[in-house]
Amino acid sequence: MSAHGSMVPEMRGHAWGPLRREWIKLLFQRRSYLIWAGMLAIPFLVSLAIKLAGSGPHANEGPAFLSRVLGNGMYVPLASLSALLPFLLPMAASMVASYMVAGEAELGTLRIILLRPVKRGSMIVSKWIVAMLYLAVGFLLVLAGGVVFGGLFFGLHPMVTLSGTTLSVAHGLGLTALVFLYGLAAMSCMVSLALLFSVITDSSLTALIGAVIFYIVVQIVIAFSYFAWLRPWMFPNYFLEYVSFFRDPIYWTPILKGLASFAAWSFGLTFVAYLLFRRKDVLS
Amino acid sequence: MTQAVAEAQTQSGPQERPEQQSCSGRPVVLGTHALTKQFGSLLAVDGLDMQVCRGDIFGFLGPNGAGKTTVIRLVLGLIHPTSGYAEVCGHRVPGQLQGALRHVAGFVDDPTFYPLMSARRNLCLLGSMTGPVSEERIDEVLEIAGLLERADTRVGGFSHGMKQRLGIAQALLHSPELIVLDEPTSGLDPRGMKDVRELIRELGASGTTVFLSSHLLHEVEQVCTRAVILNRGRIVVQGPVSELRPQNDAVKVLTGDQGRAAATLRAQFGAAGVLEDEGFLVVQAGEETVPEMVRRLVADGIAVRAVVPAPEQGLEDFFLELTGADDAKPAGESRRRGIARLLGKRR
Repeated sequence: MSAHGSMVPEMRGHAWGPLRREWIKLLFQRRSYLIWAGMLAIPFLVSLAIKLAGSGPHANEGPAFLSRVLGNGMYVPLASLSALLPFLLPMAASMVASYMVAGEAELGTLRIILLRPVKRGSMIVSKWIVAMLYLAVGFLLVLAGGVVFGGLFFGLHPMVTLSGTTLSVAHGLGLTALVFLYGLAAMSCMVSLALLFSVITDSSLTALIGAVIFYIVVQIVIAFSYFAWLRPWMFPNYFLEYVSFFRDPIYWTPILKGLASFAAWSFGLTFVAYLLFRRKDVLS
Repeated sequence: MTQAVAEAQTQSGPQERPEQQSCSGRPVVLGTHALTKQFGSLLAVDGLDMQVCRGDIFGFLGPNGAGKTTVIRLVLGLIHPTSGYAEVCGHRVPGQLQGALRHVAGFVDDPTFYPLMSARRNLCLLGSMTGPVSEERIDEVLEIAGLLERADTRVGGFSHGMKQRLGIAQALLHSPELIVLDEPTSGLDPRGMKDVRELIRELGASGTTVFLSSHLLHEVEQVCTRAVILNRGRIVVQGPVSELRPQNDAVKVLTGDQGRAAATLRAQFGAAGVLEDEGFLVVQAGEETVPEMVRRLVADGIAVRAVVPAPEQGLEDFFLELTGADDAKPAGESRRRGIARLLGKRR
């Protein structure tokens, strides 16, 4: 259009632009730091409590690996993750993602950013990626905090697998990192779920409650043996499968099933969120 | 004589629609074509046809709830039309929204920002979504908006007026072809209103097309070159601002005895030409009749305290009638009476 020649160069191939913007928005919210602080506090508190009590819970009691912490700090990150994964991490994931669209609608900024020439599709994808990056930083805090506090309180020693074999410290740390990546993948489902609710409603609290209720209802439903046939299809069913990393050899089948389930749910939910966002009438 | 085109109010087909105000050679920067939006059973925008030409300061007038903001949301792609489409800077909306948005900036409703970020960071963030922005440009637009000394404070602490001005600043960042401002003076103090209007005039003088939504008739009269009046999602009048309203002069009279004065004036101007409004007598007559008016009042022994020319008087009545303040009547009918009045007065 020569009559409407643009003085603005087209922004193409600058994928980091939207990511950087979403990341800055996250960093300019106080709640972001609250969640990170909570995540860092958990490994510290786990270490401190067990150190002061002088004894952990008995084996087969409490979250996985907790009973092993006393003799070996290497188990602190894993015990922390086990404590966080069933509830706190899904909450954190939902909180971040539910705010992504609905929070901007509440703030009113959705209507001003959508006046800029940015595709809604790329906006929703960058919001998903940034929510995952945010969680990844949180996971890193739990992991690093666990290693540091565990090392300080109990020392880092070779780990014993669930099969009874012994792993060097480096090998153990590598496996622990894999476990954390698995946990992050699990949380991608919660991010996608909350993002979907975030697109549907204009209230971030409603989106958060929607995602958390869905998660809790699924958890309860698959706990009944009557609904056992549903279990393989539900992502929360696979949240705790990471213990299979600590068999020797690694028992890959449940892990891969879990990853496949996470990928399918994440993609499906995010795709629906994208479709709805593209057609959404922004009236906020 | 009149170029202002009154939109036919009945469900007329296109062939019955009066001819559109043309841009006489200038490119159309913003055009809507039978743009319609329905929310459930509510027809918020009803077959809207209008054209904003390059260089216009275009007034978009209507009472609260007329559908102004809905039209702006439609034109800028925030919501999807039920039918019809808009054409913005040569790009069809919906369809080529990204292309259109590269040439447009502004805000819908109140401008909104990230409260914990400084004004400068907000501008940087918003601006970078359109294209690269330099620090100098940010300083420049903050200067224009009179916010430079507050550039590094958090927007959360800004007053409503400062946010309005920051909203204009972010719209200026990339020197867009068209600036859309949705009631930019609402909630401002008189000083702020004056500043914003001044700024809009300067923008217009610099060649930027401005689309100014407002519910204040006198604001549009002061600032705009062309305007439409919208009511219940339909255009009631569109045309150059100078021809929008009837040249309807009125004089306000205050005397020692309003009752007798009214009788005297009615004898001169007829019963319909003299109305009462907030203690004044409003006489539908031009300034040239004032000496004769005063002479007669004095001859009748009535003490004249004040005679004030009040051209706005007719204007406000005209606006109220056009936009159908009376909800009890069928919308079409009251509007038609408004049009009849408009056309009648012109002749």
